[in-house]
Amino acid sequence: MEKQLQHQIAFYLTGRIDKSTLEPVDGRLRPALLSRYADLDSLRYDFPLVLNRLGAPGRAVLSLSRMVDHAVAELGENVDHERVARHGYRIEHALRKALAGGAEDFAALWERTTAALEREDEALHDSAKRLWKAFQASGELVDAGAALPAKAVRHAWSAVQTAKAAAFRYRAERLLLKLKNILAAEEIGSTVGRTPERLQAGVGSSFAGAFDFDAMSRILVAAKPAVELSDERRRRIGNLIGVLERQKFYALETDGAEPYDFAFERCADALDAYRSRHAEAVELVKTLAVAELEAKGEYREAVHDMIFDGFGANGLDAGELAELPDYLVCVDGQTLDAAELARIVELLAAGLPVKILVRTDDVLEPAFVAEGHVTFGLRARQLVNTAIGLHDVFVFQAAASHLFKKKDALMRGLAYHGPALFSVFSGANAHTGQIPAYLVAAAAMESRVFPALVYDPSAGADWASRLDITDNPHPDDDWAVHSFSYEDENLQSQTETIAFTLADFMAMDERFFKNFAVVPKADWSASLIPVAEAFQIESKGLPEKVPAVLLVDDEFRLQRAILSSRAFFEVQRCRSMWHSLQELGGIHNSHAERLLAQERKARAAAAAVETPALPTAGAVEPAAPPDAPASAAAEAAHGDEPYIESERCSSCNECVQLNGEMFAYNENQQAYLKNPDAGTFRQLVEAAEGCQVSVIHPGKPRNPKEPGLEDLLKRAAAFN
Amino acid sequence: MTEQTETISASECLIRMYDEQHEIEDYQKGVPRWCSGCGDNSILTAVQRLCRDEGLLPEKTVFVSGIGCSSRLPHYMNTYGFHGIHGRALPVAEGVKLARPDLTVFVNTGDGDCCSIGAAHWIHAIRYNMDMTMMLHDNQIYGLTKMQASPTSPLGLKSNTTPHGTYLEALNPLTVTLGVSNVSFVAQVVDWIPEVMYQVLSQAYHHKGFSFVRIIQRCTEWLPKLLDPWLHDRQRVLLLHHENGLEISPALAKSYTKMREHDPSNMNEAREIASAFDPIPVGILYRNDDVPCYEDLRHDSRLRTNSLIQKGLESEFDKFTIWADGNEPA
Ligand SMILES: Cc1ncc(C[n+]2csc(CCOP(=O)(O)OP(=O)(O)O)c2C)c(N)n1
Ligand code: SF4
Ligand code: SF4
Ligand SMILES: [Mg+2]
Repeated sequence: MEKQLQHQIAFYLTGRIDKSTLEPVDGRLRPALLSRYADLDSLRYDFPLVLNRLGAPGRAVLSLSRMVDHAVAELGENVDHERVARHGYRIEHALRKALAGGAEDFAALWERTTAALEREDEALHDSAKRLWKAFQASGELVDAGAALPAKAVRHAWSAVQTAKAAAFRYRAERLLLKLKNILAAEEIGSTVGRTPERLQAGVGSSFAGAFDFDAMSRILVAAKPAVELSDERRRRIGNLIGVLERQKFYALETDGAEPYDFAFERCADALDAYRSRHAEAVELVKTLAVAELEAKGEYREAVHDMIFDGFGANGLDAGELAELPDYLVCVDGQTLDAAELARIVELLAAGLPVKILVRTDDVLEPAFVAEGHVTFGLRARQLVNTAIGLHDVFVFQAAASHLFKKKDALMRGLAYHGPALFSVFSGANAHTGQIPAYLVAAAAMESRVFPALVYDPSAGADWASRLDITDNPHPDDDWAVHSFSYEDENLQSQTETIAFTLADFMAMDERFFKNFAVVPKADWSASLIPVAEAFQIESKGLPEKVPAVLLVDDEFRLQRAILSSRAFFEVQRCRSMWHSLQELGGIHNSHAERLLAQERKARAAAAAVETPALPTAGAVEPAAPPDAPASAAAEAAHGDEPYIESERCSSCNECVQLNGEMFAYNENQQAYLKNPDAGTFRQLVEAAEGCQVSVIHPGKPRNPKEPGLEDLLKRAAAFN
Repeated sequence: MTEQTETISASECLIRMYDEQHEIEDYQKGVPRWCSGCGDNSILTAVQRLCRDEGLLPEKTVFVSGIGCSSRLPHYMNTYGFHGIHGRALPVAEGVKLARPDLTVFVNTGDGDCCSIGAAHWIHAIRYNMDMTMMLHDNQIYGLTKMQASPTSPLGLKSNTTPHGTYLEALNPLTVTLGVSNVSFVAQVVDWIPEVMYQVLSQAYHHKGFSFVRIIQRCTEWLPKLLDPWLHDRQRVLLLHHENGLEISPALAKSYTKMREHDPSNMNEAREIASAFDPIPVGILYRNDDVPCYEDLRHDSRLRTNSLIQKGLESEFDKFTIWADGNEPA
């Protein structure tokens, strides 16, 4: 074995670097696939985001570049089209640069940035004005960074709450109006409401002299008795009004009371608030239900008193809780202690209307107990797994870079009737040097260390409908694979397909530099294999190949760096975790695959044996013949008995007026033969003749002694 | 517990469980004064059954009519009713619906009431497409005033106003209705097949929009023989059926064997069917669920609070106010 390869294998096995053949990795190197993002600011992508306060919740989270695109598209085929587009991109670029990972008021930053650009290009003023008008947005402009997850989730949550509050306000104000009108109507119709003074007040001053209000009052009081509510109902309505006006869950227009706050930093505080407000919450939900009935005049004490006496004894259900605001708790995944972790689980498990954001800044945090072991964002991962296991918690996981793309799922989770957990990786940590948080976040998802997932219990009963992992790149594969082009020393263009693995992600992190060693170009050989292909490396004997990642340096020169087996072990762990998530998401399900294999085997065995041909469609038994006609059957069934085809009776009253004892209406107001003995055969025949739709059949006479039977029988024959 | 939103809460569930069950008697009032054998009776029965089966609250249901024998129907319903003036049932009903969209509105009118004096309102009601069900009791005569020809009287019919017989071809209410823009539901039934009448009225009721149901109704007093040929020959009734229209029960299919499959979304075919009278086509001719309703287009979501009403009135009055110094105060 050559000396170089010996040193490479030695590094792989021990992590010890031989400086004569290998070089250490430092912050100037980046994964080759990231090289095209070296100057992120000059690219157009969906960040920064505008946390918009105008319009429906669906417009709460906007992307600056999309807004510019839409605004430009709205211009249509216009002479200014090209100029506005060009200026739009320029302003967008400048904004991105100015923001540099931070956050600022959109309008203020726009103002400042465009003012500066206008100094170089006067025409930009008009473009900026048009774009701004088309945006229809106001709020904060935020770039990816440590603050983004909390800002975005909190903003989206508050947009959902604002919409809820508006719906509540409309409902409460409508109910208040109706309830107060009921009380007012009673008063207006009462003796008090008809006193001369009140009548005069109703007419106003101009014509007050024209009427004798005393006489009017006397006449009106005597003419129509007052309509009085029962004391019980009046008191009930008064109470409903009181509860609606005093409630502090939402602000009403007329009400001065400061509503409760629902956003918290700690679960304990949220839980305390929830508990202390519980009785009021029950009372408010009950009040809404009773008030609806009262407003419609449908409250019946005999029934509803009983229902509402026990209201809320079993707690409120998800639908009822959904009428009230949701609690929001934003926590930092890194500093979560065991007690807080337990409380989050408790909150989620109790089905409370709480939305919890767990923000993670570092997914490669070293394990506390074992050297070289990484935690993969342990606490957040633990929470996500537990929450999914709780069955009715909405779970959302995404890297911050993905928040815009996943905003619909985010909004769905916030609007979900029940608890929801949002786990977001910010990408902002001190270990990735100059690499922007956006790229770190995106790389975490790309490398499978922080995969995107949505678990939505409202989407169906099974895993297939609930769990969605399809937003990950190449969700069916082990790794996301990309093609990478570069020029070799002869300036020939080369293209390689490379997978972005956890190893690439680790190579961005200074804490793991020691796990990599750069192999000088002269020593590149077939023994250096891509990480994605290294899983078959001989683990018993001496390996002959070493996994390596492709990096570029600050002068865009391609480098290959091998990694240590310690790092490679983490890559393997990451891949297995991804595999089990894939299985839950319905990809390469091991149970299904095993079944499929069995089935194939069984089929192959069966095919070997001679099988008779399957029966063809023609051989199927013919359908049973349809029933005999109903009327014929009915006639046969009735024999000589008189009868009426009630379904065809047109309710003309003819027969029931002839003899109401003999003919009567059924529950559908159609005639039937109530009692054939309650009248004569003559009446039966006359009814049959009078029946316009001929549905009365007189049958044979029941009394053979009735006079004139011979003639009657002849007449009856036409109807039997 | 969070088996999502569509489920209703426990208390809602209880409230519905104890909802009052209605009987047909709950919708009946008084004894109809129609002649015995009059087809209006079977229309009354069908709507009473419908109200019961749909559990309509009497206090949330309104029957509006004009003048005529047919227009007496609201008197026999134990719901709200408005026996209006001749030809004006529809404008009254539209007013009710606009002010109280929560009410279920039915309109009962006659061929004289609707197609003669009220024809203008009829055309515009179709175009407004407000959510209500209209029954045209078409007995082809003025019944209440004792036998004068109406626009739908057949050519040559002798009556008190046409002693030598009518001179004009009868007006066809179906083709007229189908010709108006925004038409959204058109059906025809005969009073002597209760099952079909009930089914069609039920679908008309469930249709969101203006449902026009022409009911061929026998006036046994003045035209006792006019419809006999159709009444007694079941081959002279053509049942229209379709998966989106009327479903024919096996029993009915045995009595009435003349049938035609007709898709109610097909306007051209609907017009062709509407033009024929023998056999009488019975069923749903046309339906379009996508026509907007006027009351929705004009819906104002603001609460009618006293202050809002006062503000509206003030601004109207201000238009006619003569200000003391000639100028409106700022
Ligand atoms: C303005 C006005 N004109 C005329 C009349 C007289 N009038 C009463 S009912 C009626 C015709 C009713 O015919 P129709 O609508 O077909 O009802 P039917 O009685 O046939 O059910 C007429 C002309 C009236 N009541 N008011
Ligand atoms: S006469 Fe005939 S149609 Fe009239 S009520 Fe009696 S059975 Fe019914
Ligand atoms: S006159 Fe004709 S329409 Fe009027 S009640 Fe008598 S039968 Fe019926
Ligand atoms: Mg008439």
